[in-house]
Amino acid sequence: MAVLADSTKSFAHPIEHDHEAHLREEHLMLDPRPRGEMNAMVMEAMTTTSWKFWAVAAFLAVVVVICLGYYWGYMITSGLGVAGINRPIYWGIFLVNTVFWIGISHAGTFVSALLKVFKAEFRRPFTRAAELMTTFGLVQAGLSIFMHMGRVWLSYWLMPYPNERGLWPNFHSPLAWDFLAINTYLLSSTMYLFMPLIPDLAMARDRSTGWRKSLYRVLALGFRGTEGEWAHLRFAMNLFAFAILPVMFSVHTIVSWDFAAAMRPGWSSTIFGPYFVIGALQSGISAVAMVLIVVRATMKNMKYFIRPEHLDALGKLMLIISMAWAYFFFNDYLVQWYNGDKWTDLLLHFHEEGPVGWMWLAMLFFNIAVPWATLWNKSIRRNPTALFAIGFFVNVAMWFERYIIVPTSLSINRFPFTYQFYKPGVEIPLSFGTLALFILLYMLASRIIPLVPVWEVQEGQMAHSLKKFGNESIITISDLEE
Amino acid sequence: MTDKKMLLAIFPDVNPAAVGIKTLRELGIQDDHVDVISGLPITEAMMGRKKHPSHVPTIAFGGAVVGFVLGGLLAFWTPISYPINVGGQPIISGPPSVVVLFELTMLGMLLSTFVGVFLDSKFPNYEPKEYVTEVSDGKIALLIDCLGDDEDKIISALTNVGAESVRQAEAHQL
Repeated sequence: MAVLADSTKSFAHPIEHDHEAHLREEHLMLDPRPRGEMNAMVMEAMTTTSWKFWAVAAFLAVVVVICLGYYWGYMITSGLGVAGINRPIYWGIFLVNTVFWIGISHAGTFVSALLKVFKAEFRRPFTRAAELMTTFGLVQAGLSIFMHMGRVWLSYWLMPYPNERGLWPNFHSPLAWDFLAINTYLLSSTMYLFMPLIPDLAMARDRSTGWRKSLYRVLALGFRGTEGEWAHLRFAMNLFAFAILPVMFSVHTIVSWDFAAAMRPGWSSTIFGPYFVIGALQSGISAVAMVLIVVRATMKNMKYFIRPEHLDALGKLMLIISMAWAYFFFNDYLVQWYNGDKWTDLLLHFHEEGPVGWMWLAMLFFNIAVPWATLWNKSIRRNPTALFAIGFFVNVAMWFERYIIVPTSLSINRFPFTYQFYKPGVEIPLSFGTLALFILLYMLASRIIPLVPVWEVQEGQMAHSLKKFGNESIITISDLEE
Repeated sequence: MTDKKMLLAIFPDVNPAAVGIKTLRELGIQDDHVDVISGLPITEAMMGRKKHPSHVPTIAFGGAVVGFVLGGLLAFWTPISYPINVGGQPIISGPPSVVVLFELTMLGMLLSTFVGVFLDSKFPNYEPKEYVTEVSDGKIALLIDCLGDDEDKIISALTNVGAESVRQAEAHQL
């Protein structure tokens, strides 16, 4: 044995060997393990739960009960007056949160669909983790809209049907478009989450016992992986990947039109659509990076699936999107600043020098200065703690951005006698409630839903190989999806 | 007259499974008597088989048309049937209607695609079926519908081309 080892050593070129070993260690796609082993790793990650997990879950559940249950009940029984919204600021933090959560929800579709369309291979292990954010993000956005309604028991009035006086919702209104777009996106993204999940649910069914077996048996729908089942799924997933992208763009564009279609200083902007979309991606991609870092650090075996290469790729995306956000922000700002309108000029000064001027500066600092100063550096992009911190600050900045656009912009208008500052009341605990609910739902889902799409990872690993070009080993990818 | 049998052959990988299908063809087993079961979306081309027919594209197109018509009804029929004069503005206008048409067309298409997968795959189906759990661990299984007389020669031929096991398939609760 020793002789064999020595002889191998003498024939292998050490630099070549190191390079190949490094490539395999670096790239999940080049480091395959038997499918059974990967299945076992994902199942173990789902089923191994420490007391710390339940302690955090219990804490979040208490926050949800207090912040959402108690305070929402208080608002419903007392009326919207307990919130800070009052003339002229009728849109407060509830709509800030709506825009914020819809933004977060864009990440799943972006990561899963756009990167699939462009065949970006690094997406494979974390598409599902991102798609889950879409669904749960939209739940928070929907809840925020219900909170904003006040009389939530009349929410069915939003549905497109005529009331007793024969009046339909006005389909020329962006608010009616919102209803259609958000519901279309929620349904589509949930279906898009579920379809690729079916083979993994079948895998979980095959490896479970007890209540899990019963649950996965129902959810897997009887999937076996026959040629026909895969053919139908493959077509549907490809169609969804292409079709859900324009839906995703439409959702945040329509959200932006809630503002841009109003003749208000600061809002009436033709660039609000793409500006909102890129803002959504800015916060969404950062949130995906944060979630992946937490999943990687806290769930068993996830270090195999989520590697520094994935954080690196997400860090690059964050940097590019930060640049795009800066471009759209400046474009919007400059044109408004140049038009010389008295009220717009007043509003822009109010943003910068008013009581929340610090938010405006923090927005620029965390959205532009921090990513640009750090994410060009590979070692920072690959450092989980650093990337988490950057993602956190970007999300805080993006929430500030929405706060500046919504209630802050409503403070100043063409009637100086109505000027008022926004002082949020019950909105603050309710905001924490939606955040806690998002994290809680995600945590609980991570115990039931295989967070890594194992079949997609294996498919990617089958497609990747190392090919020799001269003395260099190069990664080659075969297109198995055609 | 011999009994019909359902055999289940398990292969470790795609390549021997593809050879197995070719071998079956040489033994006179037609493609429509063989089904491939895998934990991966291996394409029909990889296995040297004809593309599996799917109604999902047609259903998706039908859903898009239905969605478009529904969008048209909401955008055009409701304001005509229940007109509200707002400052003398036209009852029907083009650009805002595009949004409603777009959203409902996409919703119709995506919903029907999803439903189409269920219909074509006969989901949900909790009846007992021929299946082995090794499939989700990466093995490729061939389900072969054959005559009892052919059983021995199929087992022998498939074993020779790399099948790990060939046995009679049994339906059981998944």
